[in-house]
Amino acid sequence: MTADAHLIEHMMNPKNYGNMENPDATGMGKNPQNGEKVAIYLKVDKQDDPLITDISFQAIGCTTTIVSGSIVTSEARDIHFSRAEELVSATLGILEHQSPEDAACTEMVALALKAALDTYKEKQKDPEFSMYSYHITTDCTPQEEEKSEEEK
Amino acid sequence: MKQLFKEVHEAWLATQFTGFMSQTQSRQELYEFSNILFKHLTWLENDFIKNNITYTYDIPQVPIKVTHLSHMLHNIIKRIESIESQLNSCKDEHITFRMASDLNYIKSALQKLPEENVEKCFLAEKKYPNVELTDEARDALTIFLFEESYKEYELIMVYNYSKANSNDAFLNRIFQILIDESFFHLRSFGQMMAEMGILGVPRSLMEEIYKFDDLEQFLKDGIQEEIGAKEECKKLAAAVSESSEHFAAFFTFINNQENYHIALMEEALEHINKK
Repeated sequence: MTADAHLIEHMMNPKNYGNMENPDATGMGKNPQNGEKVAIYLKVDKQDDPLITDISFQAIGCTTTIVSGSIVTSEARDIHFSRAEELVSATLGILEHQSPEDAACTEMVALALKAALDTYKEKQKDPEFSMYSYHITTDCTPQEEEKSEEEK
Repeated sequence: MKQLFKEVHEAWLATQFTGFMSQTQSRQELYEFSNILFKHLTWLENDFIKNNITYTYDIPQVPIKVTHLSHMLHNIIKRIESIESQLNSCKDEHITFRMASDLNYIKSALQKLPEENVEKCFLAEKKYPNVELTDEARDALTIFLFEESYKEYELIMVYNYSKANSNDAFLNRIFQILIDESFFHLRSFGQMMAEMGILGVPRSLMEEIYKFDDLEQFLKDGIQEEIGAKEECKKLAAAVSESSEHFAAFFTFINNQENYHIALMEEALEHINKK
């Protein structure tokens, strides 16, 4: 990741970072390789196409994850679920243009949002449902390390 | 009392990071006051533990982007006034008497600190005085400082939580040394962030980071992370060596300090396994 002014602003002041009391839904994105994770919390206005009225996230992860979380949650605030699902697809669609490390972080955030949306929908059918947690599929092992493993 | 605990935590960070902004003797005073506020946090924490009350380190983001030091000094005074108004939520009068006395002094001292323009701490220029860095080295250093300032804050809180909730004197000695070491690193990195115009308070911690079940695994992971940090320091030292001997020496120094942290964690692991 380069550190241009726009990204630095997200590093210095991540948007929507923090816990949320009594969210309507929580979703989790996880990297099973290294234990990093992102939790996204939603407050939702119940409608035919539900509206995200508040959103926040927390992460155990690197700076790239925080920047991705800050950007994606800012985009997802005050939009309907149909639009949020398009946002998830569009975000997953850019992974191939990123380095493996950055792609893994971005995927984790996108999957956390998808998990939160799916959790909300599931809770409408089963109020006792806890949350969805999705694992990323991107391999974030830096290329150099992969090579050195092969050399061993 | 949970709100009081939260606000003391925020006031500690606000004071510590205001210290990074100052270029005068005020920095040292702000460091001392932040030490006092951190001590208050541990007093309240011990009172929670004594009374079997569960607690977290959850806080909202602490905003610090200002143009003048006085803006932050007023902000800290307001935070202290709010803390003072809630002191009676802690039932231990010895704690609240000591806190009230400290806070009263800190407020009066803050009012006397001279004005400074601190705008450049937030301009994101990513330039270090008298040091020429390539774009690549600048980006690497910027990301390193964000990663590591968060990491040091995380370590302070993790070891503090472990220490507060353990009665093992041997381990607590090690935890205290690691807390002190992390404070030193946080201050080194915070000052560099201010110089480069990228100062920001680290994000709050997810509860599971400090409320873990397996100390042995935590220490093993911690050793691996320290080894990773050593590698980052080595890379940075190499990246900046041509443009700055001072920087290269600094990162070599930090790299070598990590050896001590690893030795301490290995000592703690050995102690756990002996039990």
